[in-house]
Amino acid sequence: MKKSKPNTRAQKRRKKFLKGLRRFLLMPVLTCLLLFVVVFGITTPFLSDFFSIGSMFLQDNESSYSRTYENIFSPSDNSGDTVDAEDVDYPSIDKQFGTLEIKNRGVDAKLFFGDGYVPLRNGVGVYAGSFIPGYGKTILVSGHNNTYFNGLKNVKTGDIVKIRTSYGNYEYQINKTRIADANDKSTYDLGANEENLVMYTCYPFDELGLTEQRFFVYADKISGPEIVGIYE
Amino acid sequence: MKKLCAVLLAVFIFLISCCSAFAAGINAAEQSVLSNMRSPANMNGHKIFVPTAYINQAEAHFNTIDMTQQQADKINALINAGRSFLEGTGKSNIKELSPSERRTLLSYASQAAAVLKLTAVAGSDETRIKITTKDGTIIVDESNNIIKTTGFSSLAVPIAAASFIFVVLILAAAGLISLKKRELENEEI
Repeated sequence: MKKSKPNTRAQKRRKKFLKGLRRFLLMPVLTCLLLFVVVFGITTPFLSDFFSIGSMFLQDNESSYSRTYENIFSPSDNSGDTVDAEDVDYPSIDKQFGTLEIKNRGVDAKLFFGDGYVPLRNGVGVYAGSFIPGYGKTILVSGHNNTYFNGLKNVKTGDIVKIRTSYGNYEYQINKTRIADANDKSTYDLGANEENLVMYTCYPFDELGLTEQRFFVYADKISGPEIVGIYE
Repeated sequence: MKKLCAVLLAVFIFLISCCSAFAAGINAAEQSVLSNMRSPANMNGHKIFVPTAYINQAEAHFNTIDMTQQQADKINALINAGRSFLEGTGKSNIKELSPSERRTLLSYASQAAAVLKLTAVAGSDETRIKITTKDGTIIVDESNNIIKTTGFSSLAVPIAAASFIFVVLILAAAGLISLKKRELENEEI
């Protein structure tokens, strides 16, 4: 059966309009979407390092921070065995109370209490449901994989993590790294009665967007003052 | 004189019991609250515990205040009432609670927080909680997962894609209008 040709002026105009719609709206949008997907897929592995470098430059720009925070950290020279609980200014959420460094691995960040927007934008953060160094329990620290914890990809077993606080300086030795699902509750033990440091960031490193996996780094305390007199 | 001494002594005892002193450490009153929080509720034969993260956050806050025994007694009474309420619902776990039951449970938490002059607000699903001081300082924020999203801003890619598509749509619409205009001009000629 033959298709009837448009004979009226209105039909011709309609056909032209649809042709125009297809040519100038539908095709460009579909082409752009396709190009975006292809270009994104092909270039991400090559450009991710540049994105990371770029964001690391950006993070040093203090004026880009949209929220401020309180800093209660002042360097201490206490690397002894104990510190009295009364001498510890226990931090509240979003306060910087120390620094965390892994030498030669590209990790050197301000340490905050809490792991919300402010801490992770300005450094790394101790989850408020875990504890501060010296408490004798779990310290769960998170940081962004494209900024302050990007260097976690370089760590090796045996590396030393240095945490400085106003009440003492601590050293932890990395004993294990692990890649696990973000919902895997076996990756930490918030009820542990032994001091252990757990650091994590999103995995794969340099990945854009949401990732389901996390890179965990585990370390044991090797030195630093234990907080005594917590329980009166 | 005896009366005066008695009044002064009463005032002194009252002040000692009500005022906060130094905040360091966990005193006996705070320990009793933490210990009570660790006791499970028996829901239809299932033991339900307060999440460790909540207890740890309470402990962290107790390190910054000095709770009195009176405050601890009030909080413990509310914890016990909350536990009894849970056990009386006949449900097996928190997820089975109806919205009104969750609100009742939250009211116990709010009252307990209020004893320490804190404000407790439930999350959207009423199973998570956020506790703040009067000036807005966050004490507990369990509105998020324990393990956070620590990757590139999740919004960056969708925003870039949406902006790109928006620009393309604008350009396409401009092209279409221009074509139509030319067509109409041709027809007029």
